[in-house]
Amino acid sequence: MDDILKIKAENEELKNINLVRSDLISISAHQLRTSLSASKWILKMFLDKDLGDITSEQENLLNKAYESTERMIMLTNEMITLNHTEDKILSFNFQDVDLVELLEQTIFEFYGESHKKEIELIFLKPSSILNKVSVDKEMIRVVFQNLVENSIKYSNIHGKVVISISQNEDEIDLSVRDTGITISNDDQKHIFEKFYRTENAKQKDAIGSGLGLYTTKKIVENHKGKIWFESDEKGTTFFITLPLNN
Amino acid sequence: MSKILVIEDDSFLQSLEASKLTKEKFEVITASTGDDGMKKINEEGVALILLDLMLPNFDGFDILKKVREQETTKAIPVIVFSNLSEESAMQKAEQLGATKFMVKSNFTLEELVTEIKAILK
Repeated sequence: MDDILKIKAENEELKNINLVRSDLISISAHQLRTSLSASKWILKMFLDKDLGDITSEQENLLNKAYESTERMIMLTNEMITLNHTEDKILSFNFQDVDLVELLEQTIFEFYGESHKKEIELIFLKPSSILNKVSVDKEMIRVVFQNLVENSIKYSNIHGKVVISISQNEDEIDLSVRDTGITISNDDQKHIFEKFYRTENAKQKDAIGSGLGLYTTKKIVENHKGKIWFESDEKGTTFFITLPLNN
Repeated sequence: MSKILVIEDDSFLQSLEASKLTKEKFEVITASTGDDGMKKINEEGVALILLDLMLPNFDGFDILKKVREQETTKAIPVIVFSNLSEESAMQKAEQLGATKFMVKSNFTLEELVTEIKAILK
């Protein structure tokens, strides 16, 4: 009996420590964003010549400072998502979700971005209606966002991204196929590690935190699902399965 | 000229937001606390409220709730402009009747102006 009480007390203490950690990250991120907003807005004012003409050398440096600020903002955003994911793992809010609808909404958010890069974004809708699946909607939205965003980010101009979803006996299968950069054999085993970025990815897009796929895998596995990928010179396809009864 | 109320407790961000909106030919009034913001909402007849969430005394959610409860203010568009991005904050703002939720660091002031103009159209 004493042992059970002890374990319960320790468990409570761990939960409290986790709460303090989470609050600390949340507050720091908020403060960081406030300073970063100010920097971003000021740099943009200079770049837009709201404050008068600038030389091309100044413009070049200001552009670099602006990109660097955007990188910090993105890193902060991903840190917040990861922190939120780690919190949510302790208390997922499961509800029955229409994944086709959620995927459609997510893809819609990226039409602007894909249009800018002249990338064809194709959604192969299933021919029949899929069962609703019990998932944490906001967390699965993060998974969809990360995969679609990566496929656009790492595709070449005039590329193609094909997204499909289907239902098999006891699971939902999703794939996101792009015509982008290859993930080398050496990189393949590290791709889901925290802060890991491949050389190809860094060259393609300097802005990236290496937290997206780590977070994605964590969320999928916490839904008892699986995530993997295949990559060759034609591009990369990410696959996800989510069990219908998890 | 539409009158916009900027409720923001960070004086530097407030000055940047106000100066951009003034440049875009809006009439801008500002408040740094929730109480002062609420007072100006009731007295100034504003066309749109740009609302931060973390404010001293009376926070952004309290203001939004009050604005939507009062007959005289319930139709005023409110853009929540905050650096909070937790799902719970977004959901709460939506439930309380925010017109739009924008995370400050993810937008430029031009994008904010575009959004304001679209709402006031």
